[in-house]
Amino acid sequence: MSDVSLTIDGVEVTVPEGTTIWEAAARYGIEIPVLCHDPRLEPVGVCRICAVDVGERTLPAACVRHVEAGMNVITANTEITAHRRILTELMLSDQPEQSRREATTGDDSLYALARELKVSDFPWPDAKSSSNPPRGQDDSSPVIAVDHQACILCDRCVRACDDIQHNDVITRTGKGHSVRIGFDLDVPMAESSCVSCGECVAVCPTGALTHQFLGETS
Amino acid sequence: MKSFNPSESAAALAGITEVPTLCPYCGVGCALSYGVDADGTIHYARGRDGASNAERLCVKGRYGFDYAAHPQRLTKPLIRRESAYPRGPLSQFSQIDSSGPRKAGGIVDYTEVMPHFREASWEEALERIAEGFTRVRTNGGPHAMAGFGSAKGSNEEAYLFQKFMRTVIGTNNVDHCTRLCHASSVYALIEGIGSGAVTNVVRDIENAEVAILAGCNPTANHPVAASFMKQAAAAGTDLLAVNVRRPGIADYCSQYCQIKPGSDVAFYNAVMHVIIAEDLHDKAFIETRTEGFAELKAMVEEYPPAVGERLSGVPAEEIIAFARQLGQARSAMIFWGMGISQHVFGTDNARCLIALALLTGNIGRPGTGLHPLRGQNNVQGASDAGLIPMYYPGYQSVADAEVRKRFESLWGVDLPDTPGLTTAEITHAALEGDIRGLYCMGENPFLSDPDINRVREALASLDFLVVQDLFITETAEFADVILPASAFMEKCGTFTNTDRRVQKSQPVRQPPGEARQDWHILRDLAQRMGHDWNYPDESAVFDEFVKAAPLYANLSHTNIGETGRWYPCPHPDSQGERLLFADTFPIGRGRFVPAQLGTAPDLPDNDYPFILNTGRQLEHWHTGVMTRRSRALDAIAPKARVELHPDDARKLGVANEEWVELASRRGSVQVQALLTRDVAPGTLFLPMHFREAAANLLTSPALDPFGKIPEFKICAVAVNALSEVS
Repeated sequence: MSDVSLTIDGVEVTVPEGTTIWEAAARYGIEIPVLCHDPRLEPVGVCRICAVDVGERTLPAACVRHVEAGMNVITANTEITAHRRILTELMLSDQPEQSRREATTGDDSLYALARELKVSDFPWPDAKSSSNPPRGQDDSSPVIAVDHQACILCDRCVRACDDIQHNDVITRTGKGHSVRIGFDLDVPMAESSCVSCGECVAVCPTGALTHQFLGETS
Repeated sequence: MKSFNPSESAAALAGITEVPTLCPYCGVGCALSYGVDADGTIHYARGRDGASNAERLCVKGRYGFDYAAHPQRLTKPLIRRESAYPRGPLSQFSQIDSSGPRKAGGIVDYTEVMPHFREASWEEALERIAEGFTRVRTNGGPHAMAGFGSAKGSNEEAYLFQKFMRTVIGTNNVDHCTRLCHASSVYALIEGIGSGAVTNVVRDIENAEVAILAGCNPTANHPVAASFMKQAAAAGTDLLAVNVRRPGIADYCSQYCQIKPGSDVAFYNAVMHVIIAEDLHDKAFIETRTEGFAELKAMVEEYPPAVGERLSGVPAEEIIAFARQLGQARSAMIFWGMGISQHVFGTDNARCLIALALLTGNIGRPGTGLHPLRGQNNVQGASDAGLIPMYYPGYQSVADAEVRKRFESLWGVDLPDTPGLTTAEITHAALEGDIRGLYCMGENPFLSDPDINRVREALASLDFLVVQDLFITETAEFADVILPASAFMEKCGTFTNTDRRVQKSQPVRQPPGEARQDWHILRDLAQRMGHDWNYPDESAVFDEFVKAAPLYANLSHTNIGETGRWYPCPHPDSQGERLLFADTFPIGRGRFVPAQLGTAPDLPDNDYPFILNTGRQLEHWHTGVMTRRSRALDAIAPKARVELHPDDARKLGVANEEWVELASRRGSVQVQALLTRDVAPGTLFLPMHFREAAANLLTSPALDPFGKIPEFKICAVAVNALSEVS
């Protein structure tokens, strides 16, 4: 496979053909924010947070777009930041008031992004308070807490369960606004074939899949 | 949410430090970090990018860390009260003929046991132990003492424990749970290729066209290794499973052969018969790298597929398909587990797998190799460190005068010249009156060894028993002195995983109360018994171990660092060798050792018509001392159930979850039934972890003649419905 040379934020970059823009940037220490991607997973490009400017009509998602020779990539400018901010605000608009991830392992990527983008008030309606019913929770598992309301449908858990641990338990179910993740044929997690490995919790970027309280016995 | 205004950073992160260390459970040796607060409370585990786990963890590693903080942790030395003699079991459960309480969560009842012990100072406890050991030695000689170390301890602790038994006590009667695990595999490997460890790492399965999963259940017992196997299968590796009980990974296999219990040798001999008959063997490899092919060929000639079918129950065409798939593969790895090793013919079973690899030239190249999946997090290391009766550290024979002289000069004492007794032999010798004193560090033979009724008698018959552990175990009920020891999360030490990777743990919390580091206890006892042991820290112990065992040359606490290295390690900057024996074996040529199908000792008859198989389940660990004190694991899997085929259940009139009594020629237990087609009709499976349905009340103490491993996989039992009990 031959190498491809391009420019990312003014940096000359040479990477193997077939590398994504996100990977190429990461290799040169340029961090492009992303929610739905994890280097251990096949990228799917659904959250669009990693959108970058390559001089085209639209902003492609860096996690799925392959590098091209001579490409000039801008990873952050006013337009891109505005785009990321609106997406972040929209995702926050139907998040629960408290992030369970902030309270357990502290690594809520959506919150981290919102902090970085200095999000405060936003004009979008609170999705929960409109005609849409709350998406619900599943606390059936003794170790994994599921809060569908915090789920941004990034599919990281689906890919971690299928492609990392190969337990093939998590999938998507429902249509439209009621789309959510499901276990086996949409049974409560504790009744599913889940083996509680916790890989879904490890990759989830929000408070949707978190550890149940496991504080040491007292 | 209409606005976003949380604090600057997540509240959960305040005061939490992530400490890089290892998982305390299985031989995969996953690297992880614990999120710990200033009090040493562990809040969560996060997978690290370790060589064997790539950030992955399983339920035990991810959620089973809270046992170390369980309120039942021992915090002071305990001495048996005078009123608790003559020595015997203290809890209801441990009484003779008890079949255990029918309730979940059956850990030792402290309210029953504690009144028979009194708290003591370390000074008093250690003095009493020094006196006790000396008395046993004076009365019966040094070989009246024996020691059980633990594969849960570090290399440093294993090294010091065997050194203590050999130099301070003066006996080679030192062993640990490898004897109940892969002793037969190690014997066959040392005989066949001259090395008892794996020849290749688990993750190299990604380079294998075919992988055989023989007598193992990796999704339950090595879950993270299983994830790499399943990943390889998704990428095109053909997995071939052979087992008496359908393993979870069979769903990902291209072929699953359900053999009859104890017929492994017949099955693999038939496979080799087909490979040779169809000219699929690697003649160049056999010619240049092996010896004894003619003898193997003569043996497997007696096992054509039709004979294989009759003996193993696998249809001849499936045996042929299996042989062709393996014979035609350019690379194949062979993994195996307790279904191979825990038999009276475990060594013969392993010999067949080694022969299969030699026959097809599948050693020494990427995607090939022999991999006995090691069970405990440090069973490889504990064996490497000499915690076995026939070898000093580094598999150097105690019977070899040259070797012994070298160790006498290294340790500065005279050493005994006879190999010691193995685990089950020690139990037997105690019953015979030859073993009078026992030192148990982190082992629980009362539940882990076969035929508990016999173990009970053996423990009761001792003159002096010391148990050093985290909790009061079933074994500790018999002790004269119980010492409070340290948990994995409290230790700094090295642990060698199934891949031969030596990795270092870091303490994240202090031992509770007056509990001490295990190696400090050993050092203090040695000093008290007149030996000048002075190690400033764990790394000094490791350095002495490396000096004693050339196998670990070029490794030190410093260069192992946070990520570990494989041994052998050719120079101090090397990462170590992943793949061994590309050109030659330590014994030169690999040896084919032909094996004839043997007969198990405890077969069914009209009174005991079923065959019981015992083993492990995903959420629990061995005798349950740790995992049954983990809130999460105990909540997911609170009770024992015996797996029973629905056809048998119908004949017995047993419904799912109903109670049955299992009786063998040695004992009986009462347990709920789990109806599943994973087990074949006429066979049962009972996990070993649950004292209230202790599988080893039933098992037979018969041993493999080479590896001295007990027969845990075949035991004749009767099953009776207990429908009157709800």
